[in-house]
Amino acid sequence: MNARIRGIFEDAGVRGWMHAVSLDEPEASVELDADAVVPMASVYKLPLLAGFCRLVDLGELDPRERVTLEPSARTAGPTGLSAFADPVTLSLRDLALSMATVSDNASADALLDIVGLRRLAEILESFGLRRTWVRRGTAANLRDLQRRTGVDDPDAALAVLADNDRTDPVGVYEAANASAASARDLTLLLRRLWAGELLSASQTEFVKTTMHRQVFLNRLASGFPHDGVRVAGKTGTFGALRHEAGVVTLPGGAAFAIAVFTHAARGDFRQPRVDAAIGEAARVAVDVLR
Amino acid sequence: MITERHLQIFIALAEEQHFGDAARAVGITQPPLSQGLRRLEALVGAKLFERGAGGVELTPAGVALLPYARRALTSIEDLHQAAVARDPEGPEIRLGLAPEVPPSAGAAVAAACGSMIPGSRVTVVTAPTSSLVNQVGTGRLTLAAVLHPAVLDGLEAGPVSLLPTWALVPAATVDSEVVALRQLKGLPIAVRPRAEAPAARDLFLDTLALHRPDGGTVVVTDERAGLAMAAAGQAIVVTADPALIAPGVGRHRLADDPLPLRLRLVWSRTRTPFLRPNDVMAQLTEALAS
Repeated sequence: MNARIRGIFEDAGVRGWMHAVSLDEPEASVELDADAVVPMASVYKLPLLAGFCRLVDLGELDPRERVTLEPSARTAGPTGLSAFADPVTLSLRDLALSMATVSDNASADALLDIVGLRRLAEILESFGLRRTWVRRGTAANLRDLQRRTGVDDPDAALAVLADNDRTDPVGVYEAANASAASARDLTLLLRRLWAGELLSASQTEFVKTTMHRQVFLNRLASGFPHDGVRVAGKTGTFGALRHEAGVVTLPGGAAFAIAVFTHAARGDFRQPRVDAAIGEAARVAVDVLR
Repeated sequence: MITERHLQIFIALAEEQHFGDAARAVGITQPPLSQGLRRLEALVGAKLFERGAGGVELTPAGVALLPYARRALTSIEDLHQAAVARDPEGPEIRLGLAPEVPPSAGAAVAAACGSMIPGSRVTVVTAPTSSLVNQVGTGRLTLAAVLHPAVLDGLEAGPVSLLPTWALVPAATVDSEVVALRQLKGLPIAVRPRAEAPAARDLFLDTLALHRPDGGTVVVTDERAGLAMAAAGQAIVVTADPALIAPGVGRHRLADDPLPLRLRLVWSRTRTPFLRPNDVMAQLTEALAS
């Protein structure tokens, strides 16, 4: 099995890490370097979403509380509030929605500020995650990239990573300083979320609904070209990293938690083969586990 | 007892001012680096570094002791060098070359390898990039010149060298010395099998498709076969070899060099016989690209 998954990654020109597990029979799994800790890129928004919901359950945060984000203070990014021109006022739960469905960097950093790194670390530990660390948000990640590339502008710094004629600056893909997780830890988080073990019924429902609303269908979902198969996920993209963690539910109700991390050899912003390989690997895993 | 590793850690931290970067320079991970530093500080009875805002900084004691550490490490390296020079067999340097490396460039790297360690024996093999990366990883090869981009799986890699390429075209197809890629119509371009280096080959093919939407490709086993097909009027060869010629085949520069040969030296961090691998690889990279 591993040879098949390895073959998919090799063919796509990526190094890959993966863990897939049936929600009902967690002893059956498909894995490839599942315990290696890999920089999560925007997949960190998934544990952040879970942490936010936990604080709502505890009564420490009011999901209806409104915050205003000024353009000057917002993290750059291609989607959501990051792309807006004017000040935006919205509730915390809508901030979480924008963060999780379109990977909105501005919303994610604002929510991370409110939740707090320390509080989030405690919650993730209480969830039983031992190899998941949210050490910084997107803004700090981009600042680190700018420092390492010696370029002032985030877009120009990302362009350095995308250039196939240049060497990646040392340390940009290092897990040690970034928000990072193992594939197995993320499927554990998803499994416990889906089982309702971590959050109240209403917050569990909010997480599931939000993750099903994610707009990116080119990775995990691309492996299941059938509307009867439901895919809830959170992608992560940074430089040559392409990831997604999510839950795939078959028409009969059988469901599988899957986390796929990839590090592509090419730097290009757009890498459809890699996106498709993530879907293909997920499909192969589900076919084995079902 | 102060060891060579302690000295390497001290000097690397002083130079890099960053735990992760220093660990990489020494060729170890961060925990043993921190542990080694603590041990050294205990042995010399002084704190050598302070954690500052942007990284680590030398303490006054560290500044005072650094020159002694440098001298000690240089002496140890001299001892290694002297020992190597006395070995009648000399160390063996096993060099791998991807088939795309022009013969003259491969020869230059091999010659430079030999002059790096006096008395060394250089052996050379040619194999596809994916096989070379694997062989360097398992220690069967000391270093290799491979296509970039490729999945390197934790190997060390030098900068990317861009070698210009020529189009070898059946005579009378085009007459100008410099041709645009899109002018090369009607004949397939000879390419080696994709599995040899999926990421590099896809980058080549994607670039080709962008500039030259029709004409296609034909898979050949090597440049010898490609050249023969060009001579027979059946294919176009794109090569970085400045000496590849045949009667009836014209050599043309490609306008703006859209398909450069991207090469990179790779080696294993833990298995290199070179005392200062980064310096050696910089010189070998120069030989590769000259």
